[in-house]
Amino acid sequence: MKLTIERDALLGPLAHVQSVVERRNTIPVLANVLIRAETGKLSLTATDMDMDIVETVEAEVGAKGAVTAPAHTVYDIVRKLPEGGQVELARQGEGERMAIKSGRSSFALSTLPVEEFPALSGDKLPHEFSLPASELRALIDRTRFAISTEETRYYLNGIFLHGTKNSDVPVLRAVATDGHRLARVEMPLPDGASGMPGVIVPRKAVNELRKLIDESTEAVTVSLSDSKIRFAFGAIVLTSKLIDGTFPDYERVIPTGNDKLLEVDCKGFAAAVDRVATISTEKSRAVKLAIQPGLMTVSANSPDSGNATEEIEVGYTAGPIEIGFNARYLLDITEQIEGEHAQFAMADAASPTLVRDVSDASALYVLMPMRV
Amino acid sequence: MAAADEAERMLPRQNPDLAGQEQAERVLLDAYRSGRLPHAWLISGPRGIGKATLAYRFARFVLSETSGGAGGGPGGGLFGAPLPPESMAVAATSPIFRKVAAGSHPDLFIVERRYDEKAGRLKTEIVVPDVQGLGNFLHLTPAEGGWRVVVVDSADDMNRHAANAILKLIEEPPKRSLILLVSHAPGGLLPTIRSRCRKLVLKPLDETTLSELLARHRPELDVDERRVLARLAEGSIGRALDLSDAGGVELYRELIELLGSLPRLNAGDVHALADRLGRRGQEQAFTTLAELLTWWLSRALAASAAGKAPADVIEGDGGLALRLMAGRSGTQRSGGAGLDRWLDLWDKLTRLIVRAEGANLDRKQVILNAMLGLEAAARH
Repeated sequence: MKLTIERDALLGPLAHVQSVVERRNTIPVLANVLIRAETGKLSLTATDMDMDIVETVEAEVGAKGAVTAPAHTVYDIVRKLPEGGQVELARQGEGERMAIKSGRSSFALSTLPVEEFPALSGDKLPHEFSLPASELRALIDRTRFAISTEETRYYLNGIFLHGTKNSDVPVLRAVATDGHRLARVEMPLPDGASGMPGVIVPRKAVNELRKLIDESTEAVTVSLSDSKIRFAFGAIVLTSKLIDGTFPDYERVIPTGNDKLLEVDCKGFAAAVDRVATISTEKSRAVKLAIQPGLMTVSANSPDSGNATEEIEVGYTAGPIEIGFNARYLLDITEQIEGEHAQFAMADAASPTLVRDVSDASALYVLMPMRV
Repeated sequence: MAAADEAERMLPRQNPDLAGQEQAERVLLDAYRSGRLPHAWLISGPRGIGKATLAYRFARFVLSETSGGAGGGPGGGLFGAPLPPESMAVAATSPIFRKVAAGSHPDLFIVERRYDEKAGRLKTEIVVPDVQGLGNFLHLTPAEGGWRVVVVDSADDMNRHAANAILKLIEEPPKRSLILLVSHAPGGLLPTIRSRCRKLVLKPLDETTLSELLARHRPELDVDERRVLARLAEGSIGRALDLSDAGGVELYRELIELLGSLPRLNAGDVHALADRLGRRGQEQAFTTLAELLTWWLSRALAASAAGKAPADVIEGDGGLALRLMAGRSGTQRSGGAGLDRWLDLWDKLTRLIVRAEGANLDRKQVILNAMLGLEAAARH
């Protein structure tokens, strides 16, 4: 293997793929990046065995071939090379070393056999559709805060992605929940997605994907089977295992008959909750909402630090109600609401409350109250 | 020499050969072919007879079956169902073999003692962080769409917390997952783990198999030395190789020669031996000698209790045992007070050696101590 590439063209892809490499590894080859030179292009692969990222970039290839070298070291070297220079990567001898040369610097890194490098990608997945990166970002952003971190309920450790119908319109839906709150976001079902199995995308893959599509404006091609999912956009392909479990029947916990409707100015409400929550105890983070027609009093009480109240004007006409919530959860939800007004639909102080953006019907959130 | 070095360093997951365990292999293969493979297996037997090698062999087989390798994969073929697999062998050059050997197969999870960077050696036990990734592994879909295999080598190394963590997963294993526990002493495992596993007991290798294996892995040894090693190792190729590398045969000869003069030991020889093994860099030789001494003693005890001499490993060691344990008169019936004394000594020595390694006792003093104990026991 031998190739030449501009330092700047190499650095970006290296930065992308090396982020999936764990700092501490008990399996030596997982610390490495697989560098493969093909006609006119170079592909970089890194993996943690649960997911892998492959990025392809154009390069002047002198000799085809592949090698694996320590990912973080290669990245650090390339990062420190002067901007605008040319970098030469070459396999030395029988492949025991990989040489990196640029200007007057040269490095020789130890390598491991390519055959030991685990492969996740490669096979064809039966379902495929594409959607704009911005839509995918919206699906992820508005659900991932609710992903559970509890290992015993592993089937909640990801975003449940599936096709379904909402009042006869086919939609692609993303759902996440940790048992205290639930986020459900949908978009019109893309072509080719009908018939796809419902899959749970693990948190780590979600976070890695979100980082990678942050700047992307292109379409993302999603392909999946019932055991793998792949996202391809631009030069990057991310493949991940899925969570092997059944997502609970979430429809059951979304209340339909809540008749106490409250409308608040979202930003003002969030700011008030944030201020008042300063007082609430670190552990429970509870705030109380006392609501009567036209007026809501947000309060918090802590035996250690004192108490706080703030009044805000709200749109409310039903009977007075007092209800408590975890302030962190309230803020997580209001952060995702882009419209000016948020609507809370409540039943009583012990039943799940439905929250939604008044100007956007695609997302809804369910929140369990706290006893205060 | 290079070949010997390689063989010495070969881990069970890198070893393509398994000898003398055809019967156990058949049990696993039959279970697999029956379509109702138990999800957890406890593979037990003495150290160094191929338990882990068998576990990895089975792991490779199951993994290659799902990726359509060895047996043509699941599902019917064009001309009827494919023939059921007859052997577990997976070629050492296949991608699956290479990945399993490197520990980098995405559908294989290996639980073993980890390297402790601070102490600069392997940890003494398997701790909770070592098994933490396991839940995540079993709760994700398999990369190849087939089986997920876990090898625990060895289950005896798990501390209580790690064992409890793994127990949860053995209790409720996901579909198409296979957990292979290797154990040298299954009696020490949690009964709750034992009761949830299908048991597979491996037998020690017979002397012929062991000699053949030694001939392959240590071709430089002569026939006589191989025979002694095979007897010393009692059916364990692992132990035979360890002994061979540590100069065990030489040490054993030296030991028996030394003990031959009991009840009176040659003080000069004893001190020379203790001095030599007490030196820096002789840790391995010390451990080997200690092992051989307690092994000889326990074997002598067992045989004497039955009233006969143990079979000779080298010229005269069996007779020596009988002479000593039968008492000074040589006519007195064995058993009773005489054997008790030797049993106490064995017990004392075993504990002394464990302490010597744990607390870094002066090795020279430990040897002198042991020899004095032998003298005292023999003089009665």
